[in-house]
Amino acid sequence: MGQEVSTYVLPNEEIEEYQVLTFLSRQEIISFHHKMFMELANSEEPHHGNIRLSSRIVSSLPELKVNPFRDRICMVFADEDGEFSFDEFLEMMSVLSDNAPLKVKIEYAFRIYDFNGNNYIDEEDLWTVILRLINQNELSEDEITSLVEHILEEADLDNDNFLTPAEFENAIAKAPDFFNDNQERHFYCH
Amino acid sequence: MSRQDHPRSPISGQYGEDQDNDVFLSDRRVNPFLQQLPSYQSLLKRTKSTNNGTRERRKSTIHSRSSSLSTPVRSSFADEGSDDDEQSIREYAISLKEKRKLREKKKKNAKHLVGWHHWKVDTLRSLKRFQMESLAALSVLKLWKSDIHEIEGRFGTGIKSYFLFLRFLVLLNAVIFLLMFGFVTLPVAVSKFGIINATYTQTNKNFEHCATYGVTSRGLIHFYHYIIDMLSGTGFLERTYLFYGYYKLDAVQFVDFKYNVPLAYLMVTIAYLFISLVWIVRRSVLGFKSSLVHDEDRFQTYCNKIFAGWDFCITDPETARLKHNSLHQELKTDLEEERIRKRIAARTKGEKIRIYLIRFLINSVVLSLLVGCFYCVYKATIYSQEYIRSGVHSTYFLLDLATEYLPSLVITFANVLTPPLFDIIIQFEDYSPAFEIRLTLMRSVFLRLASITILMFTLWSQITLCPEGECSPCGYNYKVYPCWESRVGQEMYKLMIFDFIVIMATTLFYEYPRKLIVTHWKCKLTMLLGQQEFDIPQNVLYIVYGQTICWIGAFYSPLLPAIATVKYFFTFYIKKTSLMTNCRPATRIFRASSSNFFFLLVLLIGLVLACIPVGVSIGQIHSSKACGPFVNFNTSWEVIPHTIKTFPTAIQRIVFGLGSEAFAIPFFFVVCLILFYFVALAGAHKQVVEQLREQLAMEGRDKLFLIRKLTQAQIEMGTKFARAQMLPSRTSGREKRQVRSESQSSLEHAIITSSAKPV
Repeated sequence: MGQEVSTYVLPNEEIEEYQVLTFLSRQEIISFHHKMFMELANSEEPHHGNIRLSSRIVSSLPELKVNPFRDRICMVFADEDGEFSFDEFLEMMSVLSDNAPLKVKIEYAFRIYDFNGNNYIDEEDLWTVILRLINQNELSEDEITSLVEHILEEADLDNDNFLTPAEFENAIAKAPDFFNDNQERHFYCH
Repeated sequence: MSRQDHPRSPISGQYGEDQDNDVFLSDRRVNPFLQQLPSYQSLLKRTKSTNNGTRERRKSTIHSRSSSLSTPVRSSFADEGSDDDEQSIREYAISLKEKRKLREKKKKNAKHLVGWHHWKVDTLRSLKRFQMESLAALSVLKLWKSDIHEIEGRFGTGIKSYFLFLRFLVLLNAVIFLLMFGFVTLPVAVSKFGIINATYTQTNKNFEHCATYGVTSRGLIHFYHYIIDMLSGTGFLERTYLFYGYYKLDAVQFVDFKYNVPLAYLMVTIAYLFISLVWIVRRSVLGFKSSLVHDEDRFQTYCNKIFAGWDFCITDPETARLKHNSLHQELKTDLEEERIRKRIAARTKGEKIRIYLIRFLINSVVLSLLVGCFYCVYKATIYSQEYIRSGVHSTYFLLDLATEYLPSLVITFANVLTPPLFDIIIQFEDYSPAFEIRLTLMRSVFLRLASITILMFTLWSQITLCPEGECSPCGYNYKVYPCWESRVGQEMYKLMIFDFIVIMATTLFYEYPRKLIVTHWKCKLTMLLGQQEFDIPQNVLYIVYGQTICWIGAFYSPLLPAIATVKYFFTFYIKKTSLMTNCRPATRIFRASSSNFFFLLVLLIGLVLACIPVGVSIGQIHSSKACGPFVNFNTSWEVIPHTIKTFPTAIQRIVFGLGSEAFAIPFFFVVCLILFYFVALAGAHKQVVEQLREQLAMEGRDKLFLIRKLTQAQIEMGTKFARAQMLPSRTSGREKRQVRSESQSSLEHAIITSSAKPV
């Protein structure tokens, strides 16, 4: 597996730059670098700039493997070809980490939940979210409709039947399960 | 304007006939005018440039006709002042490449900063970096970090919050122990080694007959007596630092000042109760704050469940499957609750009366059950005390031990039998499912914690019970209880040890065999029993019960918090092992956010129930004259007035003034006024929020109306333009322009006339 080749070590200036641009600590940046290239890419490339991982490989990370939204997560963070370079990978890990503030997480959460990509969370998106959450279990159409109505009742302030980013932020910021009140961990992961 | 009037199902693609809220065109694309709104544009600007690119390409075809109506967007991030700290770059939700470009731009801008300004930015930056590094270093020290992470991955955040609660209690007990040790035990120990002068307590001449506290000679001691002594705090353990009786010190003379030991003892007791209160309230405030602002004080709104429903830290596929199931279960339960709530609201008067009657009956049954349990505890305590007093030792030392531990046995027995009973009873009361769970829990909590209080009061009734006026000189039954505080301390010690034994025994003798039986012997009975699930509420009750004992007992046995710390430390590992090997992930969801609040609420109830016995004991019951630091005082509380009298007269008058009625009543009035002010303020804020919401809804309706009219007008203009294009080529350019201007004016006319129409 190329143990005899010296593994590429990130130079200090690059690590510092990443520390400024992301929310990760020094330790985490180094470990993600190691994880991405030594384990996922199985490669001995000397410079990380050339490595690109497809979304499929990134979705097989243990944190994302069982996540029902993993395709959207990869789509939101990947570049236009759907691939991950080290930059995009770090960005994803940074947003999912502990230190990222609530504001950033809410913005990305909005993009992840916007399945049809029209920059609003409309009823269609809500249906998809609910179906993904319950996976193979059954809820009748009436029940899902009533759930969607409840959500819109709570979050849609101007009654236009879809959620703008501002309304989404307002709804989520009060959700006690979303933010890190000492120990909570939704939308976070190591 | 309710949503229920417009039923629609996006899947089937049918839209309601009512077009009021319809901004989606027939082919479900977003209306192009909606995409030109400044709010939408600002979102676009913040998405990644690549995504932006694809979307721009998609929209360009739609925009070609309406480009004249688009407004320029103000976006400039880089121009937002040259003061921006570098920290804020990473808070933009753009790709890393964009952030790099932004940083370069800011660096260029920052080059022409004034010297001092530059220095200020530099130091701020390095300070923040230092802070980050130190926090990262400190987090390595956090206790059990990797264990809890492992638990979280397999069982989710609900169970993880239980273990975090356990960790919090370990820390709390360690702090209490350090307080007690530092301020009480250490000075006494130091003085006992003869390093420093110390004055010992001298009993008043009038009370000398109360002061006999001799060692009862035991004669030949069998080895098992040592075990009994170890487990019940009698014998060789009684005259150690473990119990109150050993601290027979009045003052310790340091170099320049006199260290008042009784005062320190009392102040430390008050201090640890106060610190516990503050710490718990601080931890619970965060979860409570979010519900204060919002109108409905629910923790579990639908948005919360659906958008924050998935636990992003699950890595195990089996756990994920269970999570899906439990989410499904929870959503179904919520819809069911909604239905039940509607049914309850639709109850007739006759039904209501019937329900209230049933509830009254059942509550009286529950009350009689509780009273029955308390009576059993009372009887058991009296029997146990009499047995100890008589000093009869049977041949079987286990029987001795059992009688010593009788109160603990009865309490634990009652707490095992009654919760299933409560579960059955509550079915008849017809509450909503969530409320049922909460009520059963509250009843169990009350039963468990009140049992300890009953135990304490039984002990006191024994201590102050004086047949034939035996205790008139000393104020307590000095013949039987020469040092009653140590005896109370022993009871608390026994409770704590027994609690720990019960935890170990349930894991070893109940959970592990159950798992073995269910996995290896598959028959109908075992299928019915099922594998063990980690029952969070009951486990939380266990540890809150232990903590209440510690709070009460710390006054009578200063080293008890150390025992509690060690006990919780080992409980963590026992529970974790039991969880990993014996239990499967819970099928019923236990939300972490509300459970945090629940844990701390139960702990708070425990604290309040612990303060009552300690308060009564300090203030009411005469302290024993044979042992302990309060020999020279009537009650333990008297130390404080005694000390205040030694202060200068001015301060004395102030302090006594604070305690008098002349101060208390105006103070009470002022506090009430402040409370009313804040309540009124909160009400006013809620009103403003409501008004703003209505206004927002109104603005939204206006916006949709205008967009609809614009679209209609545009379609009309479009048809007229098309007609103009179809004119024969020999029509002159002038005529074509005329047609175009006509269509333009008709567009304006359409807008004006349509805006005059009512909504």
